[in-house]
Amino acid sequence: MVKITLLISIILLTCTQNAKSQVKPWPVSAEDAGKINPIPVELKNLGIGRNIFTRTCVACHGAKADGKGLIPSASLIDETFQKQSDGSIFFKINTGRDKMPPFKGMLKEDEIWSVVNYLRILVNRSALPPAKDVNLEISTGEEIKSITAYVHSADSAKLPFPEVDVHFYIKRDFGLMRIGELSNYTGADGKVKVVFPEKIIGDKEGNVTVLAKVEDNFLYNNSEMAVERKWGEQMVTEDEKFNQRALWGSRDKSPVWLLLLANGIIVGIWGVIFYVIYNLFRIKKTGKIFIKE
Amino acid sequence: MTDLHRKEIEIKKEQFQELVAELHSPLNRTSSSFKIWIGFLLLLMGTAAFMYVRQLRFGLGTTDMRDIASWGLYIADFVFLIAVSLVGSLITAILKLSNIKWATPLTRISEIIAVAALFSALLIIVVDMGRPDRLWHIFVYGRLQSPIVWDILVVNTYLVISILLLYIPLIPDIALLRKTMGHKPKWQQKMYKILSLGWQGTEDQVKVLNLSLKALMVVIIPVALSIHTVTSWLFASTLRPGWDSTIFGPYFVAGAFMVGAATVIVTMYIIREAYNFKEYITDEHFDLMGKLLVLTSLVYLYFNLNEFMVPAYKMKSGESAHILGLLVGDYSLMFWSVQIIGMIAPIFLMAFKPFRKPKPMLVISVLIVIAAFLKRFLIVTPTLLHPFLPIQNYPESYHHYNPTFSEMMITVGSIAGIALVISIFTRLFPIIPVSETAHEQGFPNEIINNS
Repeated sequence: MVKITLLISIILLTCTQNAKSQVKPWPVSAEDAGKINPIPVELKNLGIGRNIFTRTCVACHGAKADGKGLIPSASLIDETFQKQSDGSIFFKINTGRDKMPPFKGMLKEDEIWSVVNYLRILVNRSALPPAKDVNLEISTGEEIKSITAYVHSADSAKLPFPEVDVHFYIKRDFGLMRIGELSNYTGADGKVKVVFPEKIIGDKEGNVTVLAKVEDNFLYNNSEMAVERKWGEQMVTEDEKFNQRALWGSRDKSPVWLLLLANGIIVGIWGVIFYVIYNLFRIKKTGKIFIKE
Repeated sequence: MTDLHRKEIEIKKEQFQELVAELHSPLNRTSSSFKIWIGFLLLLMGTAAFMYVRQLRFGLGTTDMRDIASWGLYIADFVFLIAVSLVGSLITAILKLSNIKWATPLTRISEIIAVAALFSALLIIVVDMGRPDRLWHIFVYGRLQSPIVWDILVVNTYLVISILLLYIPLIPDIALLRKTMGHKPKWQQKMYKILSLGWQGTEDQVKVLNLSLKALMVVIIPVALSIHTVTSWLFASTLRPGWDSTIFGPYFVAGAFMVGAATVIVTMYIIREAYNFKEYITDEHFDLMGKLLVLTSLVYLYFNLNEFMVPAYKMKSGESAHILGLLVGDYSLMFWSVQIIGMIAPIFLMAFKPFRKPKPMLVISVLIVIAAFLKRFLIVTPTLLHPFLPIQNYPESYHHYNPTFSEMMITVGSIAGIALVISIFTRLFPIIPVSETAHEQGFPNEIINNS
């Protein structure tokens, strides 16, 4: 009995080793907390902040910054976080703690300040003017494979919009692949150009779908446009390999040796089973004859 | 016929009737403790059923299985149950074909364990499925190249053979029941009538019966070996640390014989105590089963040595996290408890005769069975938590596997189901073969068939 209880307690012990982490206070010195944010809350800076946020913060803190990313982490939009000074938030991003990495070496100071500004805007969007509708057009250069996005107002005047961040993508089988820079700002003529990368595989004819998007923008509503160009390399599939009988083949392409072996065994064993079941009927039959007599 | 001869037959007849009455005694019992026991088992199974309905409603999220540890307690339970079921072939076929007579009273016990464990194993594998409504896909779309399909084939084949191997030696006994159980409810008598197949014990019938039995006993051995070998291939054919082993087949089979023998010892102890069968399941049986258990345990120990010593000596970079986790890391406590309490200590103790008495054997066997279950868990889960490619971008909780209450209750329910099947079986059919025992005690055919 003693041994059994010991063993059971061992099982229980090994099964319940899941301690939950507790929130520790994170002190920031008055000097650090009092630092003034040198970066103005401007659209361009907010764009930089947002891009850094999507690249480095979303994984843990979640797309909504509510702390529900892959690793449970602090919510960046709740009151306890937001009531900290800009300096405190800057200090924490800069130095890191536990699973929060220090971003000192990875980001410039200005970039961190931009992220702080972005986090502020997340809970206070009313600080920004209402978003405008835009239209987006794509034109392509054939000499050098390039895509030019032209952003203009949605009305008939078609006024070009400068300083709009456009995202470029190539459509792949399972999603969109980003090309160009993280931010591509339109010039005074409302246009921005990116170069189509080399060695992109398209479909069997080499067709590739290219997209340009104005998205997640503070100032403008979403807009996008797609074009198809024969810019990619042709996809070559070797169907012959898939049509062979092989272990990796589909159901109707099992190797012959496997079919023979497996079915041979099945027939052999089930033959005996059916023979035995047949014998049971024989026993029953002889029993009946006996009773009749 | 002389008077003397007639008198002798009369005496034999009386002796035979005594034997039958004794072996049939569990069927005539009406005890409240049995009802409480059945009620207890039903309660456990009811809890499991409730948890399963909950799992169907809310999905496998009610378990702690996630992307990384996608197999857990259920699969460990499945492997454990398959291992237990292997004993049916060990006791009934291997011992019988080698003409070992002492195992006769244990054949039916081991066969019913095998059948009950297999049913339970088939259920638990459905429980493990996220979409059990797609079970039929395996029959319609299954590829013969996949070990999963082999497993489905071989488990079902083994189940059919085991049921036949349980049923066929039972036919003469059921014919006897038909004669002696006239006071039982109608449905029960009808069941005996149908199942007895009009058995009269004629020469023809005996010949056909023995032929069928022999064929089954020969066939069940390769099928039994393949059922657990294929189960081991579900692991071994996957490229993962700890599973990527060439000896997984025999390693699993050896372990199965060990836990199977231990399960039989536990069951035969309970049956012997519950139904007072001390004359039929003797201390000698425990002694011999103990020796058999030492043998199977030694073979398993040898495989364990190979399975862990060789990779631990090489410490290949991909596997070292897994091996170290078992030997000195997160799972080391469980690993060493299983190896020492569940294998090395029992082998050492059972080498001495006093420990092969019924009571010590019971304690040792219970420890072996529990350890065997945990061993299956150690085979399934730690490997999954140490894949060759590093675990990245997963939530923290995905890095561990701790079975939830729901999983544990369903697993307990699957074991309770086995106990329930065996318990009810002992009340409907003689758990110790009557006609075989009579034959071995030298009663002539006429008496067995005509009394």
